[in-house]
Amino acid sequence: MSTTLDPQQVEKAGEAPAAKHAFATLEDHVPLALRFPKVLAGFVALIGVVYCCYCYQRLHHTDLWGHLAYGRLVCTTHALPATEPLMPLAEGMPFVDTAWLSQVLGYRALAHWGPPGVQFLHAAAIAACFALLAYGFYSRTRSWLFSAAGLGLFETLNWFQFRIVRPQMAGLVCFVLLLAMLSARRWRRVYWMAIPLTIAVWANLHGSFIVGLGVIACACLGRTIDVWRRTHRLAAPLRDVPARRLFLLAELAAAAALLNPYGLRLYSEVLTFSQNPNLASLIEWDPLNFRTMQGQLCAAMALALAIVYRLSPRRVSAAEVLTLAALGASALWSARMLIWWTPVAAACFAIHGHAAWRRFFPLAGGEPASVRSGKWSVVTLGLMWIFFSYTPFGMRVLHGREGAIKDSVSRDTPVAAVAWLREHPPAGLVFNVFEWGDYLLWAGPPDVKVFVTSQAHLVPREIWRDYLSVINMSSGWTEAFDRYDVQALLLDKAERGDLIYSLRENKQWKRSFEDDLAVIFIRQAEAAEGAPTVH
Amino acid sequence: MNRNGKARVSFWLVQAIVAAGVGLSAARGGSGRVDLRFWPGKPREVVHIERVRPLRMESFYDDPQVVSDDELASVLKQVQPRFSPKNLRPNYVEHALRIWGEDARFSDPDVLSGVQLRDLLIDHGRYLASWGDRIKPLLVESREGVEVRWGREEGASVHHDHWLACLTEAGVALDEPIYTPSQHVRTINDAVQQALRDFQIDGREVEWSAMAFGLWLPPTRSWQTADGRTVSFDMLAHRLMRGDKRLGVCSGTHRVYSIVLLLRLDGLYSILSDDVRKEMMAHMRSVRQALIESQFEDGHWPSNWEKGAEAVKKPIDDTLQKKVIATGHHLEWLALAPEELHPPREQIRKAARWAIDTTVSRTPAQILEHFTFYSHVGGALSLWRKTRAADFWREHEDQATRSAEQAGEAEPESEKIPNDE
Repeated sequence: MSTTLDPQQVEKAGEAPAAKHAFATLEDHVPLALRFPKVLAGFVALIGVVYCCYCYQRLHHTDLWGHLAYGRLVCTTHALPATEPLMPLAEGMPFVDTAWLSQVLGYRALAHWGPPGVQFLHAAAIAACFALLAYGFYSRTRSWLFSAAGLGLFETLNWFQFRIVRPQMAGLVCFVLLLAMLSARRWRRVYWMAIPLTIAVWANLHGSFIVGLGVIACACLGRTIDVWRRTHRLAAPLRDVPARRLFLLAELAAAAALLNPYGLRLYSEVLTFSQNPNLASLIEWDPLNFRTMQGQLCAAMALALAIVYRLSPRRVSAAEVLTLAALGASALWSARMLIWWTPVAAACFAIHGHAAWRRFFPLAGGEPASVRSGKWSVVTLGLMWIFFSYTPFGMRVLHGREGAIKDSVSRDTPVAAVAWLREHPPAGLVFNVFEWGDYLLWAGPPDVKVFVTSQAHLVPREIWRDYLSVINMSSGWTEAFDRYDVQALLLDKAERGDLIYSLRENKQWKRSFEDDLAVIFIRQAEAAEGAPTVH
Repeated sequence: MNRNGKARVSFWLVQAIVAAGVGLSAARGGSGRVDLRFWPGKPREVVHIERVRPLRMESFYDDPQVVSDDELASVLKQVQPRFSPKNLRPNYVEHALRIWGEDARFSDPDVLSGVQLRDLLIDHGRYLASWGDRIKPLLVESREGVEVRWGREEGASVHHDHWLACLTEAGVALDEPIYTPSQHVRTINDAVQQALRDFQIDGREVEWSAMAFGLWLPPTRSWQTADGRTVSFDMLAHRLMRGDKRLGVCSGTHRVYSIVLLLRLDGLYSILSDDVRKEMMAHMRSVRQALIESQFEDGHWPSNWEKGAEAVKKPIDDTLQKKVIATGHHLEWLALAPEELHPPREQIRKAARWAIDTTVSRTPAQILEHFTFYSHVGGALSLWRKTRAADFWREHEDQATRSAEQAGEAEPESEKIPNDE
């Protein structure tokens, strides 16, 4: 630790000048290797705040619970189901569980630590992304300010996506790790193992591993273009070591992705996933809409990038442009893909923004090195401890404190309604809004028969169509309740007011539960007369 | 090793690793499991069907007390396909074909033979001759198969897979050619495969798909639809039993018919699991109970038969057609069902008596107007004599001819009228 005493105080005490110098500075006894730089403490403070905030974020009421239910099933049966196991109406639908490992991890965390365990996983994933990006930004710019700006942009652009806890976050960590390795200043031999290993783990955590393969392909193609532009010889890239390395790496990574329970079939699943027509009715799979805040933020970022690129004196690599363009185009295609564009965009902004800044405000002698001392090690570790312990997860681990479930879940989660259904299990199928199907599966009565969940791609087309016809009250919508032998209805008051109003008038259905959020109708024993008969 | 040599080795090493990875993965999972939907190609055969002709479900019973020969002849005479060749409705043709069969022949030239009925359904040229080109064709050609236009449109088959089920019940061969509007030749097998691919278990009507698949597929118990879904006869059975018994076409009676058919097929080919079979038997026992309680004094069953005793206590205002639908259809499946699922035989006889009297007392115009309903009565009563309508009628006509010949031989020569006059 380093502590400085005021020389005047020493003088006043009547010490000799020689001794004065000896006592002027206390020696830092912390080993050099453990002395942390000041900037690290700054980043820990910044990332710690982000981590803390996400640790307190309530769990969203949609697909998270479905993933946990699949995780529970896998842990209970010790097997991956070949067909959809939880939605009775989707029986027989082929099921490739692209996120099985995340689901298992999520379920294990929940089983051990309750909802704070899942909140921790989410916050830790985001913090890991921040840490990796911060390392990359800072090692390129040596500027705390531009690194923090890059992180700020990353957070802002993902403001909406980070609010939902889902296996995609595990994929994002892998993605950022891959970016860090691919953009490292110096190639390390360990990357030959680390990159394929990252892809292999990613392929089991989430189906987005294909984005990682795309990024490696972009890096390879970009390097090839750069070499060709420099030499104007077509054969030159073939002899270029980095280009060859990236090509082989792409092959190895693609093969590593086969280390999953489904093998080649995983590729087939992730490549055809977006063609599922059911996804067309889910807003998050729509193209990026510039009327939304997310779209506007994205457009502003693109504009900022254009300006920064115009001003930056740094060389722009083809790989960088290809990656930005490809991921940007995919985000335009589907807003869900925006999450992959944001770290690349933030990195490009931080690095080129800093270069542009230095073009106008050069710094003689380069960026000053950050001060390393034991004091900053203590500060850093202290901050880490504080950020860990003052979170629901920390309190759970350290003190075993358990909070109420309703304090951990989003306010749109039908906790009371599902608890009521648990006490009064319906005799058959429950028609539910798809957003609540997952939570109903998770917390509802054992063997509850949900109509649909947010795993829309697993729902047979005709059932999804019937679901939409009921939700939108299309002509003949009540007929679906009879055809599917629906025994209970779980509806949200905020979005389905007309439907609820209409059902209140229907004698076939009795309103059995209602709170501020949800209404439950139960089918009455006397069936409606006059079903149409056609011959 | 120099740098180039190292590079070459590492290159081939990586290729070997990738090839081994892909090979192992394909071997473990099987290339068939990889479904590249974005890669168009010829659709595969969903189920390879070994049999040339579909299975035919025979009745268990030959009970002249339910219907005598004369009564059956009278009823069948009423439900002969005496259709005008102009604008022949596929729904009528299908109903006629399913009870009369492909091999039906009639001495009356105004009555369409089984082959004529069949051809109208599978030959676009015949359909065109009947309807002209002002409406859409009945047959819709797909990439490698053939579909049928169905619904409430003019000239369409009314129910989903009814076309296929009726051709199947009529005994049409698997390799029977289908002539499409684009002048391509498909076969019944193509139509079956297409129906299997396109099948949606939660579609509005599955009764006829269940019948057609049941008569073609066994011993195969399951298949994969175009969206990769595995559908089994167990799932079909659950779908047929789901919900209130009144639901479904013809007051829910077709669902019961299909359930009985699947139960019979399971007895021969084990296409159902034990649990599902038990569920089906329990379901059918509840149907039996409802029939026992819901029969009216005159013998007919009402359209709300599923309500049991309440249907008799609080009768609804059923039209005659609805009574014919319910009674005719129930008599039909009862002829195929094991006796433990029957109401007392006396009730069946009463129902048959009512159906016979009602059918025979209709004028040809009245029958023609509701041919589809009355055709089930004809089919049901044939089954109760353990025969097929076509066989019985052929025998009946032959016997009539023989009797006429014998009578003719006995007549004096002078009274004979020469044919050329």
